[in-house]
Amino acid sequence: MKPLKLLALIIIPLGIIIAAVPADRVKHFRLTPDELLQEAGAGMQFISPDVVADMLVQKDPSLRLIDVRTPEEFDAYSMPNAINIPLSNLLADEYTDILNQHTYVNVFYSNGSVYANQAWMITRQLGYDNNFVLEGGLNYWFGNILSPEAPSVTSPDEEFAKYDFRKSAAAALGGGGVVSTEAEAPAIKAVKPPVTARAKKKPAGGC
Amino acid sequence: MPWHISSGKTGFNGKEEKMGPLAPNLIISENTNFLLAFFIGIAFGWVLESSGFSSSRKLAGVFYGYDTVVLKVFFTGAVTAMIGLLFMSLFGWIDLSLVYVNPTFLTSAIVGGVIMGAGFIMGGFCPGTSVCGAAIGKIDAMVFVVGIFLGIYGFAFSYPWWEKMYMAKYLGEPKVSTKLGISDGLFGLLLILVAIGMFIVAEWAEKKFPREEY
Repeated sequence: MKPLKLLALIIIPLGIIIAAVPADRVKHFRLTPDELLQEAGAGMQFISPDVVADMLVQKDPSLRLIDVRTPEEFDAYSMPNAINIPLSNLLADEYTDILNQHTYVNVFYSNGSVYANQAWMITRQLGYDNNFVLEGGLNYWFGNILSPEAPSVTSPDEEFAKYDFRKSAAAALGGGGVVSTEAEAPAIKAVKPPVTARAKKKPAGGC
Repeated sequence: MPWHISSGKTGFNGKEEKMGPLAPNLIISENTNFLLAFFIGIAFGWVLESSGFSSSRKLAGVFYGYDTVVLKVFFTGAVTAMIGLLFMSLFGWIDLSLVYVNPTFLTSAIVGGVIMGAGFIMGGFCPGTSVCGAAIGKIDAMVFVVGIFLGIYGFAFSYPWWEKMYMAKYLGEPKVSTKLGISDGLFGLLLILVAIGMFIVAEWAEKKFPREEY
């Protein structure tokens, strides 16, 4: 009984102290302009397309892709399992639970990265964490991930490793860009070999 | 990893502060991290062995009540780590939102827990202590380790069959304190009281179901 009493004498007071200390003392609800500038300047909001491709291939359940383009553009093409939150509706109540959470890695994407960046900046200013921007947007995604270009023979090994990864990721993700023109073809999950000729079919618009 | 899910606990500080965890904040390199892990691992194994955790009779004792050292050690370990982390966070030494927490997949946690528990009862070891037992030459522990590897390979090669279940019910990195709506510190105090209660019950059980030789 002796060591137990000693242990209790030490840990119970420690527990009382830690319970009495107010939590979240340093929590900022909003960022100051300085802080926001610093985050944006460091590119902290960006998540690289290779990382997203890897998460998609691994079927990482923590990844949540959010399409901030218009519903029409979303219907024409969207990334696998993406959800649509048009930028104009970003602040709607129904989306608050999606944007302000600590479970998923939210990745905004648009054709370029301007709209996605705007979405990030707004949510960041609201004090939400875990929202990121797909670097380069859909245009880069189509041009480089789904239909990667072979590096020149003099490129360093890393370039080849990257190319090999992108090639296999493209194959797993229905590469070449399956832009559905017919209404009946959702064609999101379809696994097709990369077709480089289709690479020119980039989504309309862009920034 | 900038895209690591943050718990939002400390918020964004903006300034470059020297605070833990050491490896994610690049205060120490990955190689130093591995070196530290190597020494901590050796120390862990040594303490585990010298506290008798390589004996499956001792481990099984917790199920019968004659020896509850397993329960005491694991509860003490959890409480010590918890108090340490909470205080270091309070002093601004460590950013808890960067501390890696295994993400929760509810279905696989339950199924895996049942399999692990059944294996524990049948084999008399848990994965860590089986390596400990094998290291001091216990044959049952070696057989157990072989079984672990068979299980690992079996799971890896049949992964596509399990994938759906394995990934089901993803909850992120939930905390009990968040679910209960209380502060981390208050939950810490409650857990400490529960631990003390468990220790009292454990010592009572050891007196109630004594066993001479095991």
